[in-house]
Formats: sequence, C-alpha cells, structure tokens
Amino acid sequence: MKRFRSLLFPMLIATSARAAAPELTLVIRDHLFFPSTLEVPAGQKVRILIDNQDPTPEEFESYPLNREKVIPGNTKTVVFIGPLEPGEYPFFGEFYPKTAQGKVVVK
Amino acid sequence: MFLVAVILILQEILEAALLLSVLLAVNQQMGPHLAGTRKLTLHWYAAAIVTGIFGAALFAWAMPTVSEWFDYAGQEVINALMHLVVIGGLYTHCLLLQTNARQTPGPHIGAGVALIVVITLSITREGAEIFLYINGIMGTPTAVTPALLGAGLAGGIGISAGILLYYSLVGFSRVVTLRIGLVLLALFAGNMAAQTILLLTQADWMPYTPQLWDTTGLLTEYSVTGQLLYALIGYEATPSLAQAVSYVAAMLLLASTPLFRQSWR
Amino acid sequence: MRSIRQFLLLGALAVLTLFSFIAALRGYQSSMQEAETLFDTQLLDLSQLVANLDVGRVNNDFRLGNNLAFQVWEQQSLLGASHQAPAIDMTPRVQGFDFANFDGYRWRTYARFDEDQNRWIMVAERTDLRFVLAENVVLETVLPILLGIPVTGLLIWLIVSKGLKPLIQLSADLQQKPAHDLTPLQPRETPRELVPVVNAVNGMIQRLGAALEREKRLSADAAHELRTPIAALKIQLHNLAQEVDAHSDSFQQLEQGVERMGHLVEQLMALYRTSPERFDEACVELDLHALAQEVVARWYPLFDAKQQTLELLGDRCLLRGDPFALETLLANLLSNASKYTPEQGRVQVSVLRNADARVEMVVQDNGPGIAAADANHIFERFYRSEHGSHSVPGCGLGLTIVQHVAELHHAEVSVGPSDFGSGAAFRVVFPLQDPR
Repeated sequence: MKRFRSLLFPMLIATSARAAAPELTLVIRDHLFFPSTLEVPAGQKVRILIDNQDPTPEEFESYPLNREKVIPGNTKTVVFIGPLEPGEYPFFGEFYPKTAQGKVVVK
Repeated sequence: MFLVAVILILQEILEAALLLSVLLAVNQQMGPHLAGTRKLTLHWYAAAIVTGIFGAALFAWAMPTVSEWFDYAGQEVINALMHLVVIGGLYTHCLLLQTNARQTPGPHIGAGVALIVVITLSITREGAEIFLYINGIMGTPTAVTPALLGAGLAGGIGISAGILLYYSLVGFSRVVTLRIGLVLLALFAGNMAAQTILLLTQADWMPYTPQLWDTTGLLTEYSVTGQLLYALIGYEATPSLAQAVSYVAAMLLLASTPLFRQSWR
Repeated sequence: MRSIRQFLLLGALAVLTLFSFIAALRGYQSSMQEAETLFDTQLLDLSQLVANLDVGRVNNDFRLGNNLAFQVWEQQSLLGASHQAPAIDMTPRVQGFDFANFDGYRWRTYARFDEDQNRWIMVAERTDLRFVLAENVVLETVLPILLGIPVTGLLIWLIVSKGLKPLIQLSADLQQKPAHDLTPLQPRETPRELVPVVNAVNGMIQRLGAALEREKRLSADAAHELRTPIAALKIQLHNLAQEVDAHSDSFQQLEQGVERMGHLVEQLMALYRTSPERFDEACVELDLHALAQEVVARWYPLFDAKQQTLELLGDRCLLRGDPFALETLLANLLSNASKYTPEQGRVQVSVLRNADARVEMVVQDNGPGIAAADANHIFERFYRSEHGSHSVPGCGLGLTIVQHVAELHHAEVSVGPSDFGSGAAFRVVFPLQDPR
C-alpha cells in the first residue's frame, strides 16, 4: 500500500531516495565513456548521472546490471544501480559499442 | 555499425512483429467460426502500424524533453505507463473478443480500439529508439550504408520470423491456435509487467528486490536465442523478485479472461 | 489460409530470408573475428618493428599514420613516441593486448617488455578505423545476399503463379460453366495433382445430368399418367352433378379442386414437353408479334371478365423458335398478369426490337408489383410469394415454365417495375439471330 502511494507521489519519494544514494558522474564524449571504470561501494544503491556531451544520442546498456536507457545528444540523465555484490559489471553504449565501453567495479 | 544496427533494430522489430502475428492469428481464428461475427479487417492493423510509426517519431523527437521530467526519470515513467496501458489493452482486447462472439455481429469496435492501442504503443515504444539511432547515424556519413544494410537485414529477419510464426499458428486447428496464441499473449503481458518493474527500479521509483536466479551461464540475453526468447516471452537471465511476481500476476490477469479459460476447456 | 499463392510466396520467402540472413550475420561475425585476429597480428609485428627502432633518433614529429601510435619506455622515462601518444603509459605494463582511451579515441593496445634493452614497448591502433576497414570488406560479401532477396521474391512469385495456373484455369472454367451446361470439363492441361479433382467433378456432372433426366422423365410420365384419371374424374363429376345438389359448397369445392389438379398436370406437361433434345426439331421461323396477337386474342375473355384492359403494342419481329413453347410462355405471363392485377386494371404486351436490335417481349401490369424479397425466387419451381394474397389460385409452376422456355431460346428473363407507376414488368429478351 505504501508502495502504491509512492507511485502517486513520485516526487516526494524520488527526492528522499536520492538523498541517500551516493552519486557518480559518467561523461560520454566522442563515443567514449569517461571514466571508463566506475568504482562503486558494495551493497549500496548508487545514482549515476550520465552526461552525454556528444551531439548524437547514445544508449547506456548493461546486461549484468539489467539497465538500458537512451540518452539523447547533449542531454543528461540518471540511472540508479545496485545494491550490488562485489565484482565487475561491464556496460557499453549500444549505439557505438566499438568505442563506448566501460565497467562498474564494485568493492 | 552494421552489427550494431542489426542487434538494435532486431531487438525492437522482433517484439512488435511477433506480437502482431500472434494477434493476427488469434483474431483470424475468432471470426468465421462463431455465429454472426466478422474478423477485424487488415485495415485495423495497418492503421495501428501507421499511428505507431508516427508515435515513435514523435516520442523520439520529444525524448530530450521527456528525459528531464521527474528529475531525469521521465523516460522510465512514460515507458512504464505505456507498458501498463499495453497490458490493459491486451486484457481488454481478449475480454471484448469474447463478448463480441457472444453478442453483436460484426467486428467489435472496442476490441478493435484495444488492438490499435496495443500495437500503436508497442511500436511507439520500440520504434523511438530506432528513430533516435538512425537520426544520430545520419551525422556520420561512413556509417550510413552499413547501418542501413544492418537495418535491412534486421527488418528481414524480424518480419520473416513474424510471418513464419503467423503461418505456424494458423496451421493448427482453431482451438490449438487460440490456446497457443492466448498463452503467448499472456507471456507477452508478463514480459511487459516485468519490464515495467525494471524501469521503475532503474528510476528509483520502486525499491530494490533481490535477484532470484542467474541463468547467464545457461543462456545469455544477448545471444540470438536469448534475444528471440526475450522478444517472445521476455526471457531474463537475472530477474528480481518483483519482476517475477509481476510477470506471473500479468499472466494470471490475461488467463482470467473468459476467452482464455474457454480455450482450455 | 486466405490464399495459396500468398502463403507459398510469403512462406517460402520468409524461410529463405530468415536462414540466408542469419547465415549472412554469422558470416559477418566470423569474418570480423578473423579480421580482428589479422589486425592483432599486425600490431604484434609493429611492436617488433618499434623495438628494433633507434628510438633515440625518433622525435615527436615521427608519423606512423593517424591510425597507429607507439611509446617506448625505459623505467619511467619516455624514450620515444608517436605524435598522438599520451604523456603517460597508454596501457598498463602487462604483456599482451588490451583496450585504452586516449586522444579522443578508443585504441587496441599491445604491450611487450623487451628484456634485452629493459624497455616497455607499447603500440596501439585506433579501433574505429580498423573496424571500418574490416567492415567495409566484410559487408561486400553480405550485400549480395540482401540484394538477392527482392529478386528471389520476384522469381518465387513467378514460379508460384506458373504452378497455380492450372488450378486457376480450372476454377475459372467451373465458374464460367452455365448452370444448365452438363458437358464434362476438358481442361487444356491437367497436372497429376488435379486429375482426381477433374475426374470427380466430371463424375458428379454426369450423375447430376442423369438424375435431372430421371427427374424430368418421372415428372413428365407422372403428369401424363395422371391425365387419364383426371379426365375420368371430370366425367364422374359431371355425372354426379345430375344426381346431387350441384350448387352445394362441398360440390363447388370439389369441382374447383379437380379443376386445379387438371391445370397443374397440364402445366407439368408443358414444362417437360419442351426438352432441349426436341427443341431443334420444333424450331421454325416465326413472327413473334403475330404469335402474341393470337395468344392475346385467345386470352381476351379472361381479362374482359375482370374488366381489365389488355393491349398489344409493337410490330413484326421475326425469330427462330418453337411456336408452341412461345405460346405457353406468353400464356403463362398473361395468366399471371391477370391474376395479380385488380379488376379494371391495365395489362400491356409489347413485342419490339430494342436499342440493341434484339427482340424484346414485355408484359407489364399496374398491379401490386413484386416485393424485392421475392424477385430472386419467383422463377423457382412451386415458389409462391408470402407477400401476395393467398387467395390467388395457382400452382407455382408458371414462371418456371417461362424461364425454361426462355432458356431454350437462349433468351433472358428479368422482372422489374412497370411503366405504370405500380406493378411488375416481365421482360424476355431474345438473342440476336443471323438472318437466314
């Protein structure tokens, strides 16, 4: 029931949830991820701000993380991941996978 | 760029093509056998596909704005909403097909509208990504030809798979087609529900739930078989508890329609 | 399945597309993998080459081409590098291949430790460029498969069309076969698969013809056999009239019943007297207008009794026909018109050549006309309208006879509204005949 209310009042919950999660920034430039390795604490939810500085859209995708999100050119977006077990979780840009490669390292 | 285009477009087109052929096959088997009913003509499907393509273009165009809504959760929220409407549309369609068969002659307008909503939103959701990708590719002249070749190949595979699924479905007797078709529709609704949960978790609108199992070693999601199963029944190598629960719930919703129960009697 | 052609075309094309495209995809993937290995080998060779360079003499202007970069390290000092190489290690100091991002690109790197000189040699190649290079080559092999599909589709379509031709021809033959044509099918070419169908249809046509013939003969024989007892019945009735009260209700009804039975038998005889086999013998050159005049004169008293006007329009119209059959046809139309037109009504017969120069005989009245629901059935045997009054006596054979005679003459019968505002018009249009 509480969850249902949270759907009705998303802004409130989103704001409160965000305050708790550590934030990392991932920049996309020239179809590359900077940094290409993100270090993340284990067992914690993390907010990743993805800043696409290319004029072209990119899609952040990771099979082990179960994440998929389009980032139009010159815009920012947010993806929440975790909590995760320690290990390596590769991600890539689905539109330019030859160059846009990276991984989340959970410690 | 070729393989990227193939994978990207195949992911999107396969799901829509398979859904379309299952809906066509189920509707095909509904009409002539029941007194006084007529099938939904192909015009309904054509209208749905055209509005879907326009919807996809519109959604792609609005994506930069939509992305920023709800503190960067706009994409997930809108997509989740579309998923929920698709589940509702599938439920309504199956419900009204049945009522139609019992009462009024002629195609049921409500069932037709539900069909249009389901197909339109599915194509809008899937197609927007293709529009964004193609639009981005146009800026890189060397990538255009490989990308278009890839799109052609993916389109060919997707549409062929749809045609073969349709002909295999209608090749069965009426009851068997209805059974398989409706089960596939229920699985599809389950897939939509699980994806909704995933989207809301990604946007942090839903709490994290533990992962149930990991079958990556058995079948990866990005293999051809994995993609096909994902498109058909929403195969997920690492599902969370909430995803599994919602999957089953949506399936049961579809299974609760009289048409579904009747087909298994 | 809505269409065999569609199924064969789409099914074959879908299977072909699916498998050839997936094969192309597989081919692409393995070729690309091969190309990767090839490029890696080249990179390995390059590292060998760089190791043997006199790096002391290499300055920053040394150019390998934009797609390649190298570094030579001795401990922490950079002995030499190409112009795009970064100032720091471009790859971790681990022997082997890896990937790295620098200079705004993604690079495939290879690091080797030269033990003789105690140096780290690092070489790199831009992934995007080598990928494009490889892809362009590989795509050349995929392209024909993609372009081949439309051509294949066209060919499959042609083959399917050719294969279905005998079937389409057969269904067209069946469709064009007139209802009364009971000659067997003789298709120009019959593939083995269609032989049973043609044989079955021909067998059915034969049995149908025999059954129809039997039915005809039975009816004609029955009618003929019934004539004598009915005649006897009439004489008995006449005799009976002397003995009992001829004006009693029961007697009147008995008389009417016998009368109606006699009429029915006469009509049945008329229907089967004119058979196609005997038609040619009975055919003569005649003037339809003159024939109509005769029939009208004979039937005039019936109209006079109901104070109906009966007029005959038209002029001499010559055609070949069976005079007796044509008389029966017109007599039936006139009797019908009189029956269904109220007292003091109007009936008109016209025999003319129409705009196509075909002989046309029209009988129209100003009665109640024919309901649309009946129009399709009135020529059926023993059909009596549910819309009309049941008070009108009749057996339901009249219009069947009309149609039968018209068909013998290859004429078309149709019914429509009359020119009098209300009522029906029966139109018999005879075919054009060669003047002899």
